[in-house]
Amino acid sequence: MSRVSRRGVLRGIGVGILALGGVAALVRTSGYELPAHRRGKLRVLDAAQFTILTAIASRVCAADASDAPSIEETDVVGFVDSFAVSMPEKMKRDLLLFLSVIEHVGPLFAKHVDRFTSLGLSSQDAVLSALEANDEGLLRGGFAGLKALLFMGYYRDPRTWPLLQYDGPTISQVGSP
Amino acid sequence: MSIRSGSELRGQVNLQCDAVVVGTGAGGSIAARELARAGAKVIAVEEGAYCTSADFNQREEQMLPMLFQDRGGRTTDDLAIRVLQGRGVGGSTVHNTNLCKRTPDAILDLWHDRYHVTGMRAVELAPAFETIERDLSVAEIPIAMRNRNNDILRIGAEALGWRGGQLKHNRVGCQGSGFCELGCVYNAKQNALKVVIPQAVLAGADVLSDVRAVKVLHNANRVRGLRAEAIDREGRIVAEITIDAPVVVLSASAVGSAALARASNVPDKYELVGKRLRMHPGGVVAGRFKDEVCGDKGIPQSYECTEHLSFEEGSDRRVWITTAFAHPIGTASVLPGFGAKHMSMMRSYRHFSVLTAMLHDESMGEVYLGSEGRPALRYEMNRSDRLQLQKGLRACAELLFAAGAEEVVIPATPQVIVKSRRDLDRIDWSFGKPHSVPLTAVHPMGTMPMGDDPRSSVVNSQGEHHQLRGLFVADGSLFPTSIGGPPQISIYAFAQHLSPHIIARARH
Repeated sequence: MSRVSRRGVLRGIGVGILALGGVAALVRTSGYELPAHRRGKLRVLDAAQFTILTAIASRVCAADASDAPSIEETDVVGFVDSFAVSMPEKMKRDLLLFLSVIEHVGPLFAKHVDRFTSLGLSSQDAVLSALEANDEGLLRGGFAGLKALLFMGYYRDPRTWPLLQYDGPTISQVGSP
Repeated sequence: MSIRSGSELRGQVNLQCDAVVVGTGAGGSIAARELARAGAKVIAVEEGAYCTSADFNQREEQMLPMLFQDRGGRTTDDLAIRVLQGRGVGGSTVHNTNLCKRTPDAILDLWHDRYHVTGMRAVELAPAFETIERDLSVAEIPIAMRNRNNDILRIGAEALGWRGGQLKHNRVGCQGSGFCELGCVYNAKQNALKVVIPQAVLAGADVLSDVRAVKVLHNANRVRGLRAEAIDREGRIVAEITIDAPVVVLSASAVGSAALARASNVPDKYELVGKRLRMHPGGVVAGRFKDEVCGDKGIPQSYECTEHLSFEEGSDRRVWITTAFAHPIGTASVLPGFGAKHMSMMRSYRHFSVLTAMLHDESMGEVYLGSEGRPALRYEMNRSDRLQLQKGLRACAELLFAAGAEEVVIPATPQVIVKSRRDLDRIDWSFGKPHSVPLTAVHPMGTMPMGDDPRSSVVNSQGEHHQLRGLFVADGSLFPTSIGGPPQISIYAFAQHLSPHIIARARH
């Protein structure tokens, strides 16, 4: 009889959760609408994924004061959409699947039954905190990866640098953010 | 005698040479140079692009995907450890922080005594190290170039009476911009890209960038060549390349080389290929100081603390401590939490000093072929290494307090903020483990280890595969164990040392 390890069980649970998210994504993709200026412009994200990611980004990059630019000003979600074009295929699939997991399964971790984009801001924060501290490594690691991507979209913008007193490149700018 | 992009090729391309080198980092560049200098017709293939200092622009969001594998997103398969590996002509030498340390004598002795590695002790390797250090202008980092982040480490170590010292590097004309990990726009790095590859090309080597090795061709226990794919900037295959050659040198890193060997069904009677992966996983601790630290400016790493580092096998002192500082995106990714609290912490960016505890690890992971045949890494930290990690994080916190930090932030989930050195005794450090603290590894090694016993090694002490004549390894895959420090000089020197054997085989 083969030995069942704790790691194997956890992985099974993680895969199960991801699969559940995938199924949920297939059955619930209605009710998402792109802003007019995004229609026909996205390269990877569909309307649902764009809406979910915008909701997540608005919490992950939430400002602590009025001098911080918004995710719309810095076009965080547009950046992620462009960045994802050249991602390895598996990584891209995992990213999109994880958005579905957050939308449809994530709320359960914070004892909510509505989908993520329907929750209030504090409830959304509770969901993301639950993911960040989740016992299942794949969920925790997935959130860390998503967070890193969103912060890349945010802090790449020179308008955020004064918040940190970051001087930016020492050479004249090449390329635009 | 050139560096060309494979993206210009189309259709089916057939080439012949005496030796193919896969990968153009520290090991591959030296192998290509030495083969070419010996008169062999050599082709070096590189999966990434050929970029020079003119292509670097100090922008994280553009350089990370350009210079690193998987666009900077490579992790272990459980997502617990971020693995930063170079991609492009020059490999990881393009983005590394230029630290130059020889393989410790104790490690070389261990390999000799326990892992049946012959001809690779310190005295035997000395000529290769000397050649490399001369070629790469290795010298001690001037104390005047030590930035405040590194000076904090020195002050902390001296206050505690802990062992430490100034590091060596391979830079000439450094401007102290602090953007080393994004490629040097000032071309101050004396690395494979700037120094060794041009020497190889000058000696007659052909370098093909944007070419991904797919399979080592072999039959009857002899190497026959390499099959590869030329790819464009979007990763589309534009040409299929077959290179006939009696020698193939794997220098695609401990991840890439092992994955290619597995994809090629290289003989592996004892199932060793890809196993015994070590990678120096490291965690960070940040200290907030009243005055500005500006850790992003100047040479990123110039001082080390070796108080908790011993190279004896089974030692309970297996932590190498040095500084770690990132630009905003890297910093934001590591700090715990999100939202307004996270942003408030980011506002202390200039006041943070950051140290890293890097493990001289004993845990053994594995490189295997994941979906779509891409390399994947499995690595589970054992209990001993987890304890070392906890010890290392605590040591970093002690150093920061000893240097005057007002508070110390450990980016765990949930985050740990410590207000005084005394409080360190009250902390349950068991949170210090993968997934609970962000870990990064930049030194994969050990997946095709050398040694003269085929039951415990993949290649012999000359770097040639035990069963497959003409297949050599010249990268960090060779290490039978972790080496407990920056590996670039070891990899350069091992390739230099093994080159005569590769040349001899290419001539037969």
